[in-house]
Amino acid sequence: MSVHVSTLQARISGESTASSPLSTEEYFVNMGPQHPSTHGVLRLVLRLDGETVREVVPVLGYIHRGIEKMGEHGNYRQFVHLVDRMDYLSALANNWAVTMVVEKAAKMETTERIQAIRTLVCELQRIQSHLLWWGVFGMDLGGFTPFFYGLREREQICDIFEKTIGARLTMNYIQPGGVMFDIHPEFVKDVKAFISYLKPKLVEYDALVTDNVIIQERIRGIGKLSAERAIALGATGPVLRASGVAHDLRKSEPYGVYSQLDFDVPVGKDGDCWDRYWVRMEEMRQSVRMIEQLIDNIPEGKTFMVKPAAKIKVPAGVHYSHLETARGILGVLLVSDGKEAPYRIHCRTPNFNNLWCIGEMATGGRMGDLVAMLSSIDIVVPDIDR
Amino acid sequence: MGVITDKLPGVLEPVPGGSVLLTAVDQLINWSRSNSLWPLTFGTSCCAIEVMMATGAARHDLARFGAEVARPSPRQADLLVIAGTIVKRMAPRLRTLYEQMAEPRYVMATGSCAICGGPFMYHSYTTVRGADEIIPVDVYVPGCPPRPEAFFYGLLTLQKMIKEGESIRHPGERRRPVLAALPEGMTLDDIRKEMQDLLSHDANVNMAAAVAEGARYSSELKDF
Repeated sequence: MSVHVSTLQARISGESTASSPLSTEEYFVNMGPQHPSTHGVLRLVLRLDGETVREVVPVLGYIHRGIEKMGEHGNYRQFVHLVDRMDYLSALANNWAVTMVVEKAAKMETTERIQAIRTLVCELQRIQSHLLWWGVFGMDLGGFTPFFYGLREREQICDIFEKTIGARLTMNYIQPGGVMFDIHPEFVKDVKAFISYLKPKLVEYDALVTDNVIIQERIRGIGKLSAERAIALGATGPVLRASGVAHDLRKSEPYGVYSQLDFDVPVGKDGDCWDRYWVRMEEMRQSVRMIEQLIDNIPEGKTFMVKPAAKIKVPAGVHYSHLETARGILGVLLVSDGKEAPYRIHCRTPNFNNLWCIGEMATGGRMGDLVAMLSSIDIVVPDIDR
Repeated sequence: MGVITDKLPGVLEPVPGGSVLLTAVDQLINWSRSNSLWPLTFGTSCCAIEVMMATGAARHDLARFGAEVARPSPRQADLLVIAGTIVKRMAPRLRTLYEQMAEPRYVMATGSCAICGGPFMYHSYTTVRGADEIIPVDVYVPGCPPRPEAFFYGLLTLQKMIKEGESIRHPGERRRPVLAALPEGMTLDDIRKEMQDLLSHDANVNMAAAVAEGARYSSELKDF
């Protein structure tokens, strides 16, 4: 009698597809729209062969609210608060994307102070968003501890935002022509205290999760996405960078004050779940670096260049502008007929393209790994459906 | 439950002390129901972050109210928190989820979207203007999104409603929906008086000192 023993390493590096002489029958499973791991109301139709995933088809529209159409009924300032509800975890970056295209088209001037404040709060929110992702990723893998740790640090950023902006989640802070309010007198002190608090916590996270053998064995080598396919599918943000493409708009087309900042663009190698994890953890450290450089050097100046009640008119034509949110490139296409309200607005949202990578990642993999892959993309469903 | 609610009052009422026993059992049942609400993990958009995640996390800690056992399956849950916008495509699924939950089931509508459509009330061609067009709602929590504290106020309101609501004699009877916000005309003094009454009822607080402290605080507040 012989017993076949396979090491964990062999099982990880081995074939991930099922191979059996027995004939099997394919079947369909609907995952969602009510499912704890789909991060909202996403529905995935899975074609399975036993435990092996043959095909994944995302079905959308369960939170389609018609934000783009609603934008045509109000002025530009009114559209800013609607994009808050799109990708609510990077609400400030969404505000900025709309602001940027309006300012570019209407040739509105801004001060250095405005740009520095925008950069600062966006980087803070990038950390906030990644902290939430880190917690939820841990929870999707079956551990509840990261959720508590990540949300604990996130609350501190919420406090900082609350003092300056007055909101925890949907900010409506960055407006065409400036920012809604000047920063709170204690903002600099609070951010510095938070940064010195966060740095040892990031080391703790590494000890707790990143260096954890169980996590590494679980997410290494699954959900691979090659650089060619990532580009072909239009993936952006950490998903693209994890596949080895160093494309970051903050570096390649600097906006705000990013051109004055010294930071690296973390790049993965294999494009698997582990690389996506690592890229996001590294991005948090880079954001900390950026905030450290910026926090003492906020220039003096005005924080609002036009009166809040002023009518903003954009010259007729097609305008486009894009920036890097926590999830990838958010582009806003604006068609104007010279009036106060836009003729048409279209948002090229990062999550929509990133989501379709799940088909590429999951096909041929195991059903159990699907949740880890979906979580590693870090999707926000209202951003997909708009 | 059907047998109990149909037969038990008739059997117990003639017995000496039976009514008292029924009331005591009612109180026990309602107390346990209100303190072990199992919410369904159902979040459609922004409110899910504040209402389902931030409340469950370390700072706000939903476990203090006995409602931290979030269940992914509607068959195990008894509290449906509608966190986020409901659009026409999701509406039949929400109704299905509600039907799948076992009685007694409670519904909280959190955020402007679930109450009336919120920012998507005008010009949106898909949004359902309020979740109460699809399912009955017990408690409304306003906000866009509501803070975790606001959600807790709503949860406490729901607990109060459950404690005063159903009984074996009157199954299925609910108090009317409550708006989980401060009533209009409520002043700081009213809240303080209510607090003082509550504390003096417990009789473990030195009320004289507390009232003096409150007066000092009140004068400070006026200066502010």
